[in-house]
Amino acid sequence: MKAIEKSFNSKASMNSFFVVIFLFFTMWIGTGQFTKVDWMLFGYMVASFIFFIGMTVRLTSWVMRPATHEMIKRSIQNMKAKKRQKRNVKAIIKTLIDNIILQKYIFKRGIYRGIQHWLIAWGCIGSLAITFGLTFGWMHFKLVDATTYQVVVFGVPTLKMHPDGLLAGLIFEGLNITATMLLIGVIMAIVRRIKNHDTQVTQRAEFDLVPLYILLAMTGTGLLLTVSYKLLGGWMHPQFQLLHQVTTVLFLVYFPFGKLFHLPIRPMAVAVPMNYQEEPGIDTKECVGCGELYSSDDQITDVQTILGKQMFDFKTNDGHQLSDYCPACRRKIRVMSQLNMKTPFGTSAEPVQTNNGIHIPGFGRERAETFYDAKGEK
Amino acid sequence: MKKVMYLEFERCIGCRSCQAACRECGGHDAKERNYVEYIDFFESRQTFPMMCMQCKDPACAKVCPANAIQITEEGVVLSAMEEKCIGCRNCTFGCPFGIPKFDFEENKMYKCDMCYDRTKYDISPMCASVCPSDAIRFIDHDEMMELRRRRTQMNLIEGKKPSENDKWQYVPEFFGVYSD
Ligand code: SF4
Ligand code: SF4
Repeated sequence: MKAIEKSFNSKASMNSFFVVIFLFFTMWIGTGQFTKVDWMLFGYMVASFIFFIGMTVRLTSWVMRPATHEMIKRSIQNMKAKKRQKRNVKAIIKTLIDNIILQKYIFKRGIYRGIQHWLIAWGCIGSLAITFGLTFGWMHFKLVDATTYQVVVFGVPTLKMHPDGLLAGLIFEGLNITATMLLIGVIMAIVRRIKNHDTQVTQRAEFDLVPLYILLAMTGTGLLLTVSYKLLGGWMHPQFQLLHQVTTVLFLVYFPFGKLFHLPIRPMAVAVPMNYQEEPGIDTKECVGCGELYSSDDQITDVQTILGKQMFDFKTNDGHQLSDYCPACRRKIRVMSQLNMKTPFGTSAEPVQTNNGIHIPGFGRERAETFYDAKGEK
Repeated sequence: MKKVMYLEFERCIGCRSCQAACRECGGHDAKERNYVEYIDFFESRQTFPMMCMQCKDPACAKVCPANAIQITEEGVVLSAMEEKCIGCRNCTFGCPFGIPKFDFEENKMYKCDMCYDRTKYDISPMCASVCPSDAIRFIDHDEMMELRRRRTQMNLIEGKKPSENDKWQYVPEFFGVYSD
């Protein structure tokens, strides 16, 4: 494995390579050895590949961060532990239903925001699934006889249906349904950003607004296509099609770099009930200063590992770490050391040094040989 | 940003105006992000105000598994991005000063961002603009250095006597983001 990794510039390029190979493989199966590729969708296909490469690069760098790595490591450990199975299953089901399917916590931030987010989220996931399904040829429709269509998934014939049936209607109109959801959601989001000045404070245009406008352009042109062939007898259809293709390509290529990138990160929320806090708001670890419950043992261990890996030294004079104290005690420690009163944090009133002087090098540069040597020592 | 935050804890009279001001700030949802607490309630009624240090290398951001805590180009450490924060509270436990707060209902962290929308334009943050006793100040770097210099001479601190070598460790905190 190490030899393979070394032959690439970085882990990200290695992972992207394997993802692309895998996609080609699924295409090969889905399109019957590339015999049934839909060349009309070629532009979308290239953009989809770029989308997956972008996602892989971003996710690889994200997983390499010590904090993320530590949390995923503990999650995997807990998944494997026999004793915790009940808690794991409960955590996964609860997170899936509450956080991902229903998105309850966003509805608590406001009904408007809840509806807006739910529409965009499921509109996006649905549209992406259909788009990838068609462009990579994972799924296509076959005419069995004059009144029966069949869905073919990865070359395996599945459901048969009547072209005028409800199911067929839902499937054929799939993209229209998700696009309508998206359109309503995106308009709600843009209205909120124009009306509510509080949301503008920490917003960056390229991160927050650009993806929204691209999304609007994409869904708008997509729905125009439908309007054109259904109501206007194909008026300007080729032009709309080109426009839609351009906006979709833009959307797919930009997706991993804008705010929509939080989509693949969210499922990690399951780590919270699974690893740290079985019941929300109930803590189990005592503060060494005041005895107040403030966290759980596993979480403090993880936080200390992450801090240690990044050369933060928050050791107190009594042999503990600052994170062994509850937040309120930590605030007191800061004030008392400033006022030269007795605290566990050393006798000197020196402010805690929080700059470790280490800078993480940029991505995409080839790693030094020493990186692998250091890894090998362990 | 040319100005810095300067805290003199013992000036605090415990009026909690800074917290009220913080609650009023746009986007704060009427929840304050700073603290006013007793140093030792059984000893005295001395209170202190507390806010985020805007660390140069913020531990909170480094322990966040979702990479939700962003740092502006000026160096202000912002509240968690709502779309990324997975609600694990690692930041609360990683921060050496116990600053980030957590909203269990809405499942997100929120913390002092030095009123970035104001300080970006060198306007004083909400808390500093209302503090009646100047325990929290938002002042020029030079003015802050002058105040600190005077403090080292006054030698106000009880207990261990500061010496010429370490007197700088006994003057109040200043923080914020500034470039000399
Ligand atoms: S929250 Fe804590 S660690 Fe983060 S910048 Fe503020 S003081 Fe530093
Ligand atoms: S609570 Fe949110 S901001 Fe804090 S460490 Fe967890 S994910 Fe990051």
